[in-house]
Amino acid sequence: MLSSLDPRIARLALPDTAPAPTPKAAFDQFETFEVFHQKKDGAAYTYVGPVHAPSADVAFLFAKEQYSRRFACTGMWVVPTSAINLTPYVGDQESVYDGVSAIVPTADAPAEPQEYAIFHLKKRGKAHTNVGLVRAASAADALYQAKLTFGEQRPVVNVWVLPWNEVLTLDPADRDIWLTTPEKKYRDAIAYKVQDRIERFKLETGTK
Amino acid sequence: MTDPKKDLLYRLADDQLILGHRNSEWNGLGPILEEDIAFSSMAQDKLGHALQLYSLLHELGEAEPDTVAFTRNAAQFHCSQLVELPIGDYAFSLMRHFLFDHAELLRFEALAASSYEPLAQVARKLKGELKYHVLHANTWIRQLGTSTEEALEKLQAALDLTLPYALGLFEKTEAEPAIIAEGLFIGEDVLRAQWLENISRVLNQTQLELPDLSAITPVGGGRHGEHTEFLQPLLDEMAEVFRLDPTADW
Amino acid sequence: MYGSVSTHDIPAQATTGLENEDPQQLAEFEARIARGEKIEPDDYMPALYRKQLIRMIEQHAHSEIIGSLPEGTWITRAPGFRRKMAQMAKVQDEVGHAQLLYSAAETLGKSREDMLTDLINGKSKYSNVFNYPTPTWADSNAISWLIDAGAIVNQMANARGSYGPYCRALERICAEESFHLKYGHDAVVHMATGTPIQRRMMQEALNRWWPPIMTFFGPADKASQHTEILMRWKVKMASNDDCRQQFLDMYVPKILEIGLTIPDPNLRKNEETGKWEYTEPDWEELRRVINGDGPCNQERLAVRRAAEENGAWVRRALQAKRQAPKAVRPLA
Repeated sequence: MLSSLDPRIARLALPDTAPAPTPKAAFDQFETFEVFHQKKDGAAYTYVGPVHAPSADVAFLFAKEQYSRRFACTGMWVVPTSAINLTPYVGDQESVYDGVSAIVPTADAPAEPQEYAIFHLKKRGKAHTNVGLVRAASAADALYQAKLTFGEQRPVVNVWVLPWNEVLTLDPADRDIWLTTPEKKYRDAIAYKVQDRIERFKLETGTK
Repeated sequence: MTDPKKDLLYRLADDQLILGHRNSEWNGLGPILEEDIAFSSMAQDKLGHALQLYSLLHELGEAEPDTVAFTRNAAQFHCSQLVELPIGDYAFSLMRHFLFDHAELLRFEALAASSYEPLAQVARKLKGELKYHVLHANTWIRQLGTSTEEALEKLQAALDLTLPYALGLFEKTEAEPAIIAEGLFIGEDVLRAQWLENISRVLNQTQLELPDLSAITPVGGGRHGEHTEFLQPLLDEMAEVFRLDPTADW
Repeated sequence: MYGSVSTHDIPAQATTGLENEDPQQLAEFEARIARGEKIEPDDYMPALYRKQLIRMIEQHAHSEIIGSLPEGTWITRAPGFRRKMAQMAKVQDEVGHAQLLYSAAETLGKSREDMLTDLINGKSKYSNVFNYPTPTWADSNAISWLIDAGAIVNQMANARGSYGPYCRALERICAEESFHLKYGHDAVVHMATGTPIQRRMMQEALNRWWPPIMTFFGPADKASQHTEILMRWKVKMASNDDCRQQFLDMYVPKILEIGLTIPDPNLRKNEETGKWEYTEPDWEELRRVINGDGPCNQERLAVRRAAEENGAWVRRALQAKRQAPKAVRPLA
């Protein structure tokens, strides 16, 4: 048995030499969901990163602890990566909207308009931020509607268009899941103040 | 122990400490990175609850939280035997989390109306935190409880194994009549009935079967200091560093 | 927690492959970086840039997940509530950092599953220091403070790099590392200024950890065409030696002021050159340990493998209800 200094590992009772990993028959990875975080009431939802999950409800459970276990949080949106439409990226001084024009109507029956959440990236390397919602017949149309509504803003390096019906949000009544988060000070650098102890030590040992 | 407040607090706090400790054993070894993080947060929360409850005990004249947590032996602990069992496989740990946290949520909801105001305050504060814990447990039990044969088998085995111990969560002590009479807490019988309803509702949405309760003998003893063979080694391990130098400030 | 990406293990004869790139696209790419703009996932990037970043971010991610084990060794034994909860939060953060970094690497086209598979098959590397054991609580404290301090030197540099998703992940990671650093310092100060037993434990742990710490940033970079290109593309942001010097500047005084001694008689700052001088680390040992022959290599991989295998039924169960799984690349 593998001996370990870690009592948890010792209890796993692993063999001395690990057997070769079982070859995997199939791809075994969940799809990803993108997560957006609101730090206080009225603040814009901002992109924080992805989680791997089998479904949106599990993605939310994961996102809550991966992206909001520190500091205040008042809301979180979770959306399948595959549901997001995005534009190409342009340079830091430019606007994506310069290349966006009205959608030429097709012969197909027009789709029922629905809501889309629009996210802008203002600078490469920063995070996408929600600028608002638009109503449109398609994601492409939503981008044009976004240009009409938010096109004055510059620069806009990249735009994400999220069909609102794909976004998992939290019932406002359940926002108390974050109530105690800011009080978990043991997770914060600010809780560790040790300078007094060092000064006292120096005085006692005559090194000061 | 005669003081009903202390009796109640010790049972609450010891459960939280020991289960928080157990669940922390998964940290870094969980089945999915994201789940590893979520499960660790909930274990940390449980330790946070224990600390708050031991602090209330300290205000009532008991020793410092660290002393109470790290220097007693098994016979001095009032936790249920459910929380001291080893972590087993993930099905076992999830099922224990499901059964325990449902009881915990209801317990703290009731305590929010306790006549002992400091405890009621703690309970009110924790409502949202516990809501997430139960949401987490329910989602997992629903997901896995409607999935593969393999998962169903593991979860059913975990449920069969943990249920008698979970019923031990509601074991009463001699302080029970006073606890109810003083309005500290609604009492274990009421809690148990609500709990059964809530876990049944979730289990009914899965392919798992709740065993026939009339055929089960609850495993008690923990509230009276009778424990499994697993608690004392757990406490020895937890206090290994703490006891290296009793005069030290770590 | 991660040491420098080392250009040391790139074969000297490796070609850059730049002759296969479109000259105009390459020129625009280089101009963007020179302007200080970040590269985002859908942009054109040279194959060498992509390859080197995947390898670097992947190694960084592996270092976090494996790096959770030496401190995890003490998670059930941390003394007192304050330390117990913080130790859990810290180990949790390492897992969280791995999650962030695997996601950043995935935007470059390698799936998280492939990376984890390469890790447990021993095909990928991770930071060498995690192949050393933590025999006492003080060893865990030494890592929390000094290895994380080293990692911050590195990560702060890399956060100024050119790849957007890696920068975003590092920004979050650095914020969390500031907790690690303070927590680690707090724990070490309590030990070093504490009772005789604590002081002895801490000094012995420092003695054990100093040599690995000195190898943490890797050997001096070889001057090569690769190094030069990777610096120009802001993939490699600081030389290994510069990072080591910066670390010594910042932390040697902090170690000494709490009465600890550093187990290197040759360690001194040369006032003329402004550089630290020290006993040359045993690079032969580093090479040996990287290649699998360290005190804990076998255990680290066995544990990671066991975690994967023991969790497989959970992932299988959750997958079963979904349609044929497909790889989805995170967006940013």
